[in-house]
Amino acid sequence: MSADSDDMVGESSETEMDAELEAAERARSGEQIEFYGGKWMSALPLFVFVVWAIFQSGVLGIGDTTGLVIAMLVGLIIGMLFVKGDWENYANTIFEGMTRRVAATAVVAWLWAGMFANTLQAGGFVDGLVWAADALSIGATLFPAATFLLAALLATGIGTGYGTAVTFVTLFFPVGVLLGASPVLTFGAILSGAVFGDNLAPVSDTTIVSAVTQDSDIGGVVASRFKYAIIAAIPALALYVLAGGTMGSPFAVGGNAQTLLVENSQPLGLVHLLSIGVVIGTAVQGRHIVEAISWGLIVTIVLSLLLGLASASAVLVFQAPQSSGIAQSLSVLPIVEVVPRADAAIGGSLYDGAVGFFPLIVLTLLIVAGAQIMIRGGAFDTLQDWLLGSFATSLRRAELTMVFGTAGVNAMITINTAAEIAIGPYIARMGERFNINGYRRANILDANTSALGYIFPWGGGVLAGYAAMLTLPGEYEWFTQAMIVNPAQVWPFVFQGWLLFFVFIVAAATGFGLEYTSDREAKEVARV
Amino acid sequence: MSRLDAFLKGWSFRSSTPEFEPGQEIAAFVTGRDGRGQVARIGDTILHLDTGDGNGGEDLLDTRVRLRIEDFDANDHTGRATVLERLGEGSF
Repeated sequence: MSADSDDMVGESSETEMDAELEAAERARSGEQIEFYGGKWMSALPLFVFVVWAIFQSGVLGIGDTTGLVIAMLVGLIIGMLFVKGDWENYANTIFEGMTRRVAATAVVAWLWAGMFANTLQAGGFVDGLVWAADALSIGATLFPAATFLLAALLATGIGTGYGTAVTFVTLFFPVGVLLGASPVLTFGAILSGAVFGDNLAPVSDTTIVSAVTQDSDIGGVVASRFKYAIIAAIPALALYVLAGGTMGSPFAVGGNAQTLLVENSQPLGLVHLLSIGVVIGTAVQGRHIVEAISWGLIVTIVLSLLLGLASASAVLVFQAPQSSGIAQSLSVLPIVEVVPRADAAIGGSLYDGAVGFFPLIVLTLLIVAGAQIMIRGGAFDTLQDWLLGSFATSLRRAELTMVFGTAGVNAMITINTAAEIAIGPYIARMGERFNINGYRRANILDANTSALGYIFPWGGGVLAGYAAMLTLPGEYEWFTQAMIVNPAQVWPFVFQGWLLFFVFIVAAATGFGLEYTSDREAKEVARV
Repeated sequence: MSRLDAFLKGWSFRSSTPEFEPGQEIAAFVTGRDGRGQVARIGDTILHLDTGDGNGGEDLLDTRVRLRIEDFDANDHTGRATVLERLGEGSF
């Protein structure tokens, strides 16, 4: 290609770029989109998504986040068919929504949180918790209570309740069965620990969404949330102690539970309590969440390598094809491995942690785009006015509407982060109309989101734990099908989930913990 | 705010009608209009806003503003406040 034609391409793409920027500017300036069938039709993309999500997760029990990405894409296409006149404005509004700061900040925080959580596990934090359980030499009665505490600790560190449910069902559940603890109570205690961490951890996806959608910094949200979490957790712990004393196990396996614990135990793993402390401490101090998690990540990697808890390749590894000569000579490095050509890849906890969030990131961008269409089409305001006019007519009623609204949406869409993103804008607007502080709004939003996803039999957290349980009969000879806890049996025993839900009903009805925007300013989004 | 303070804030039962002192400056969202002009509703307390130009001023709905309380009636839970500056928009 000659220099001349290069110039021409440059010019025409510049013009195209200008036109595109102009169109985007028109979308930003708030041009309304009109739909055949009226304002409500602008809710169609999100409506298709919600119906799909209920069908997928609620009815069919499929917890695949990427499936929901397709739901949103199909919803956005169907919605476009009902737009009056030019579709360009609709298309530009999708871009407008996706480039909102709320989406970008969640994406950044998730990528960091994912790397931290996976590296913490690669560094043997779980093995440290297993060692603690063994060292405490707890019997059947106290096992569910101890499981709750340790699961809460793991979930607060890694932020993922689903991950906690899977890890604890795999490692702790069989030990409980061997000790003679009630299986259903032990499973309930694991889910309760997951609820606690999903709700409180600064690196939890739901914590991040709750803070970002309510324009509040994550550290401040975590500190203000602590009171509700602990008020629920103390009676929950007492209930596990009490129920542990009265509910026995119908199974007498007679195996040696301790052997199972010792196999996976590593006391040094507990040093990562320091890594978790670094993240929580710096975040609460008001440091940017990216800075807080980066420090936590650095501490985790240094401790893991120095103490021999993880190899460098467990954190990051370049798996190069054998055919590459350079790779052969570089394979002396701890992070380069030579593998058959077909297996060439990048791996390690940094990679797995960040990649694990990719589906949720794409989904979030699309949901925020769908919400923007609803705002530009007028359905958002119409629904908002209806809620404010019919239910949220006073402060207490507004807060109760927020509590039951989030509960309702989360009971139906059981991939809880997705539910939270969908309802976040309503909680923001409704709360702002009563000048309810962003921290308080974030707390109301996240409590039910964290609680309900681990209570109902179709909840994502319950299903994740159940799926892990199904692998246990293959793992241990003595583990029979009868020992598997059916998801439909566990719901009354997720004490932390229920108590957190009730704490927020009481808090909304009485004003406990209530703060106004005029009391203190949540830090700006830039300080998320 | 120290780390400990952040954890200890909000351990109380808060009234749905917060009170303010004349002269006090606060940041709040403008939440709507009534017959007399724009208002900032804080919980169930209503502050009538003087937006500067006497005609109700530009529409500040869902905008976060800095306010100075001019007078406040603790029995009625109503007051009057002057808008000093715009601080930003709502989240959505």
